[in-house]
Amino acid sequence: MKRIIDLKRELTDALRVGWFLGVRQIRRSSKGTTTLIISIMVLTFLNLVVVSGLLLGLISGSFEAFKQSYSGEMIITTAPQLDHIEHSADLISFLRSHPRVTALSARHVAGAEILGTLTDLPGKNEQPNKISMQVVGIEPVEEEIVTRFSRFVVEGEMLDENEDGYMLIGANMIKEYSSFADANIPGITLLTNVRVGTRVRVSLASADGPVRKDFIVKGIVKSKVDQISTRAFINDRELKRMIPVNKEEVQEIAVKTDDSFASTLVAETTAFTGPDVARIQTSAEAIPSFLRDIEMTMGILGNALSSFALIVASITIFIVVFINAVTKRKFIGIMKGIGISPLAIEISYIFQALFYGIVGSVVGLVLVFAFLKPYFDAYPINFPFSDGILVATYGSAFLRVAILLVVTLLAGYVPAKLIVRKNTLDSILGR
Amino acid sequence: MIKASQLVKSFGKGDLEITVLKEISLEINSGEFVAIIGPSGAGKSTLLYQLSLLDVPTAGDVFLDGIRTADLNERQKTEFRLKELGYVFQDYALLPELNALENVALPMLMQGMSKMLAFKKAEEALARVNLSDKMQNLPSALSGGQQQRVSIARAIVHHPHILFADEPTANLDSTSARPVIDTFLQLHKEGQTIVMVTHEEEYAKMAGRLISLKDGKIVSDQKQD
Repeated sequence: MKRIIDLKRELTDALRVGWFLGVRQIRRSSKGTTTLIISIMVLTFLNLVVVSGLLLGLISGSFEAFKQSYSGEMIITTAPQLDHIEHSADLISFLRSHPRVTALSARHVAGAEILGTLTDLPGKNEQPNKISMQVVGIEPVEEEIVTRFSRFVVEGEMLDENEDGYMLIGANMIKEYSSFADANIPGITLLTNVRVGTRVRVSLASADGPVRKDFIVKGIVKSKVDQISTRAFINDRELKRMIPVNKEEVQEIAVKTDDSFASTLVAETTAFTGPDVARIQTSAEAIPSFLRDIEMTMGILGNALSSFALIVASITIFIVVFINAVTKRKFIGIMKGIGISPLAIEISYIFQALFYGIVGSVVGLVLVFAFLKPYFDAYPINFPFSDGILVATYGSAFLRVAILLVVTLLAGYVPAKLIVRKNTLDSILGR
Repeated sequence: MIKASQLVKSFGKGDLEITVLKEISLEINSGEFVAIIGPSGAGKSTLLYQLSLLDVPTAGDVFLDGIRTADLNERQKTEFRLKELGYVFQDYALLPELNALENVALPMLMQGMSKMLAFKKAEEALARVNLSDKMQNLPSALSGGQQQRVSIARAIVHHPHILFADEPTANLDSTSARPVIDTFLQLHKEGQTIVMVTHEEEYAKMAGRLISLKDGKIVSDQKQD
């Protein structure tokens, strides 16, 4: 018991003296050196948080865009064996009356063939200017509330709910606008010479032969979400008139609700519809699996880069503390000589290392959350399939701070221990 | 109080072995002011390091206050140095990041004393060496003589049983050295046991006892008036 009390007293005294020495060593050290070391720690922290955050952000940006531009927080699509959502009207009615649903957009979707040139017949051995694609019927006002659809119109104007005969076409389906037009991918054909004002013909297949209607291209829509850039959009009532069967049943319902409530809403909606009537998913669940794989890969890459950053940080701190301790070896010897416990001396160096780590992390946190994250939110990285943002949450950032501090503590302790354990007299005499 | 028995200190091994102390035995009583003198290489400082627990003899024993120092582990030696011994080094050995007051208070803080009390005692110790007006100065803002007096204040602040001084005036001119020696004499008058290594005969003669070393052996040991 006495031994435990003695050890506790020794530890307390060592902590007091370690703090006393550490604080004064920091306070009276060279300001330039301190600034340099803290700068290195800030960069290390940024390396830990920002690099992996940006890698994840490239994918998370596409997830966010998928939700904001297409799916809402919950998306209902057709079940695998069906071509429509069963009892759509009842389901829409249920969702409209749900207190946590803020908006929804019900869409008819049909496979169609679009002919881009109506005046000239193709010459011999020439392909006709036509393409197969999905045509989506939207209620412009509701779609605007759910996805702010008009922001995707890069040329021309948004559809008007009171006008018939107009169409918006996804940019990736038109040679002059598509990002893939120069790739010459075998099997992929695009419309040519279609722009705002062009008249195009939409043909839907039916048992009684094709249903045809001409539309004037009112606008070109472009987004990094394929469901927008590769489809055509017309007023829903027009598509409804063209669809030969199941006119009242829609193929997609995008629902806006609180992010945190999406899973519950999925469960409640599934309970309402019963099984196998439709595919009901949160936006996250509806993300294509290849994007999930990319997310996982980016996560692994981010962690690998973070590990390298941690190793660099630990070596940096080790070198800083080691050089600091080596240059003060004589004074360490003197302190031991006059009876200062080795533990107190080691603790003073650990305090210094932690000081650099904590200040570096705090400055890094301020930079990330006050400047970098808002900046990348406002000016995302223009990645081909997403707008890359910086993914940084307080939870993950503080976890990295904790990891950095543990590494810093070890990297501060080890070199201090190496120097402190040297023979006292040899240290004093510098031999 | 201090007893050395058949002390041997060697460096190196085999053909390269050099024996610096050759079976030295001595006793120093409480309250004595002992000066150890001798030419360079005589083993003066080496003897001081063995007596003051800063080094471990190759053979022989050192007893301090009746305790056989070979029986103490490193932790106990550190604690013994902290509580029972005081050191004054040739080059002052003040910590450059601490001001005079903090340098002197440091051993008291290590003993578990409150910061306020430690600083109060440090102020008293600095007053004893006439440095009350330099307490907030960093070592770099003090002259050599002032730094050595701060070093003495640090060595005596906890009222050690024995004060060891290794060439305390070697780096000082005569003007600066004199107050340092005067401080030792004053401490001796108050009953402090002092063991001082010096190569300056003028100051050595002021001690109560003079031990001369040559080639690792005591060649004379005489009390002085």
